[in-house]
Amino acid sequence: MTNYLTLSIEEINKLLINQKIKPIDLVNEAFEKIEKSDLNAFITLNKEEAVKLAKELENQPVDNLFFGIPIAIKDNIVTKGLLTTAASKMLADFNPPYDATVIKKIKEAKMIIIGKTNMDEFAMGSTGETSYYGPTLNPYNKSKIPGGSSSGSAVAVSANLVPLAIGSDTGGSVRQPSALTGIVGMKPTYGRVSRYGLIAFASSLDQIGPMTKTVTENAQLLNLISGKDTKDLNSINTNDDFTKKIGCDIKGMKIAIPDFYMGDVTAPVIKEKILEIIEFLKNNGVVVESVKIPFIEHSIHLYQVIALGEASSNLARFDGIRYGYLSDNYNDLNGLYENTRSEGFGDEVKRRIMIGSYILSSENADKYYYRALKIRNLIKKSFENIFNNYDLIIGPTTTDVAYDLGLFQNDTIKGFYDDIFVTPVNLAGLPALSLPVGKSLDNLPIGLQIISKAMDEVTIYQLASYIEQNFNGGK
Amino acid sequence: MGVNNMTYIPTIGIEVHVELNTQNKAFSPTINKYGDAANTLVNEIDLGLPGTLPTLNKEMIDFGIKAAMALNCKINQKMYFERKNYFYPDNSKNFQITQGKTPIGYDGYITVEVDNQLVKVEIERIHLEEDTAKSIHEQDKTYLDFNRAGVPLIEIVTKPMITNSEIAIKYLEKLKEILLYLGVSDVKMEEGSMRCDANISVSKNDKLGIKTEVKNIGSIKNVGLAIDYEIERQINLLNNNEVLVEETRRFNDSNNQTIRMRIKETGNDYRYFPEPDIPYVNISDEWLSEIKATLPMLPDDIRLELANKQVNNNNIEALIGDIDALYFYLAIKNRIINPVSAINLIITDLKAYSNNLNKKIINLLQLEDFIEIANDLANKVYSKQMVKRLLEEIIINKLDITDAKAMVNQKESFNIEEIVVNILNNNFEAINDYKAGKDRALKYLMGQVMKETKGVADAVEVQKVMLDKLSKL
Repeated sequence: MTNYLTLSIEEINKLLINQKIKPIDLVNEAFEKIEKSDLNAFITLNKEEAVKLAKELENQPVDNLFFGIPIAIKDNIVTKGLLTTAASKMLADFNPPYDATVIKKIKEAKMIIIGKTNMDEFAMGSTGETSYYGPTLNPYNKSKIPGGSSSGSAVAVSANLVPLAIGSDTGGSVRQPSALTGIVGMKPTYGRVSRYGLIAFASSLDQIGPMTKTVTENAQLLNLISGKDTKDLNSINTNDDFTKKIGCDIKGMKIAIPDFYMGDVTAPVIKEKILEIIEFLKNNGVVVESVKIPFIEHSIHLYQVIALGEASSNLARFDGIRYGYLSDNYNDLNGLYENTRSEGFGDEVKRRIMIGSYILSSENADKYYYRALKIRNLIKKSFENIFNNYDLIIGPTTTDVAYDLGLFQNDTIKGFYDDIFVTPVNLAGLPALSLPVGKSLDNLPIGLQIISKAMDEVTIYQLASYIEQNFNGGK
Repeated sequence: MGVNNMTYIPTIGIEVHVELNTQNKAFSPTINKYGDAANTLVNEIDLGLPGTLPTLNKEMIDFGIKAAMALNCKINQKMYFERKNYFYPDNSKNFQITQGKTPIGYDGYITVEVDNQLVKVEIERIHLEEDTAKSIHEQDKTYLDFNRAGVPLIEIVTKPMITNSEIAIKYLEKLKEILLYLGVSDVKMEEGSMRCDANISVSKNDKLGIKTEVKNIGSIKNVGLAIDYEIERQINLLNNNEVLVEETRRFNDSNNQTIRMRIKETGNDYRYFPEPDIPYVNISDEWLSEIKATLPMLPDDIRLELANKQVNNNNIEALIGDIDALYFYLAIKNRIINPVSAINLIITDLKAYSNNLNKKIINLLQLEDFIEIANDLANKVYSKQMVKRLLEEIIINKLDITDAKAMVNQKESFNIEEIVVNILNNNFEAINDYKAGKDRALKYLMGQVMKETKGVADAVEVQKVMLDKLSKL
């Protein structure tokens, strides 16, 4: 078997330009690896189309960095003519008639979509275990969770099945699996990447992000997929080159580390790694100071109220009438709704819809939802205050390394607490990246989270790349 | 009506849904059009497919502002949309995008005239929302047409302060007229682009009674009938010591009665919350002034202005009752010398051509040509008869105005005196009859002259010449 997919994108690009390899070589290698792998990273493979496209590209000039590069797409991003299930029985046969905006951009760059990756059902979960298609396995230890909900995208990159993947992050769903599988995952500023075509979980929190092996490739992929889209009213117009500060020195940078991130919930193995990094940064001329960020300790609860409230409304459309699963067991309209939704959704999704509906009911909306929106603003302000004095915030991505599959499968609360360090960023709409910074004694990856003010991804990439290149506790 | 009616005071509130005739749908770029083949004006957003997001149609907001201004409303310059969550097959996302806490307009009114008295009907709110798909029920099946899904609507809600069906009818007629003149909707109740619900209760004191809602009444006249029926029904029940329940009813136009559809369920909870996919809309002062500048004259302003210009009431109403004619008039009104004669030409001659040729008035002839002709008439350059000839040459024979005038002038260039003398010389018998006092003879002679001049001669002038010649014979 060839081994081009472990190379960097720039190296692959050179090989393509120099006609040392053809896109079909990359495609064949990806499918060979996927077929040999037992990680359950993919729900649907796009083999026929991928091979066809690779052949077509043979006669075309290599006109950009991503030309002919295989990519995997999380299965909650719609792809025209390619099943998009959101890992739910509800959409097991859903064949979208349109492409998400990110997919259009990926196709315009002539990238080759290898397949749709496994995930928690409707992105609801942080272990990958709520998928209708079964759990995805962690390549570092197949008895461990890979994290979620972008489980398959993280695993596909981590196991070199594809060089790049796209995930989505509502409350850590790109960063947490990236941390647990040792890859680079970015949740950009809310609005950086168009959500058009992303099956909504919580509209005000959802954001699509790149998942890659290296920091530079992450920035390059974000260059490709970001930008204002008239189809997403919350998208923002920017033409940043996210790689532009990569390679710049970090001397004189001021970095905050919230005390909340280094408290008792954080496992010693993680804490030690973060302390090593702090030491490393200080040795490289960076000021690192412990800070208190008011209100972020409420993030988990706010997240549940806001995300589940929005989810209960976003997932109302799945009724089997126009598309998707339809129960054949009903006598009237209510029966149709009840049975279709009872049979089509998994337990976790149903739990979240029920909680969300309760939260938004006229009796409770003021008590929970509207109050949560107010505190959300306070969290935003808390972060803004920190960024008045600091360039970046760092901390662990997760409280611990990957744990055993099945351990907390039916413990919803555990799932939310796994996300305790990642959800504040979604609530504040900020960008944050998880960077692999080393492994535990039992060889499980540890992620460092780097957070910046809104629209300042370039500085995140600057620091992340510096650590990636110079910190020795890494891989 | 029952004997005790006087002691009960009815309270009526009216909700009207109006489809806006914007180019595109409210929250998707799909064309907004009525009457096309089912499910042809549909995209992925209208169907609520997974992953879709709403766009926002600025024209809808423009139209909303226009309506709010015309209904004397205050405007929420910082407004947002909300989701109203409920399951129904015609509701593709199972939530409707609407406005809750920040309606585009609020605290407005319309003034109507009832029994020579002006009554202010207060408007509580006017908000923007999207229409649902259309359900077509056939036997045991329901079909859905998503062409209507996402068509922009405004909902206009009065305060519960209307006291009888006559005010309700006048309010609806006035509302319809205003919206039509604003150009924001075609307000056709038969096509569903205007739909009315009435909330009716009766009470003996200040505390409002238990209300019923009569849904989707098909015509303004039926709104009146439904209200009258409901008031009487409720009073009769109360007089029989029966307890009213809050319920939704529909109007049956075959017997002019209302029928229960369902008792209002408690706990019908729409779980409103701000639509996270649409940012807040800030309507700037500049935006408002821009819209204000495009507001057409509203019917009541036009009535006043025309009355001041001595146009008689029948002609005013004929003009206002025909939007095509009115738009034509409004386009020329600042450049005509005599509105009375010009309006007369529009509502009689132009209207007749418009009907016969099945063309809009505006498309019959150039505005400039009409202005010139109307002013020639006002300045007595041409007689009424000649103007009719001119219009015929231009509209029917497609001459340009110079050629048309030349044609009419040529026909007018004959010498009336010469023709009259000629006719008299050939009709001795008629002259004798005239002298014998037979009125018919004069008419006959006049007719001969008119025939000779192909009807173009000015009859008054012909008669004058004729009588003069006859007296000298």
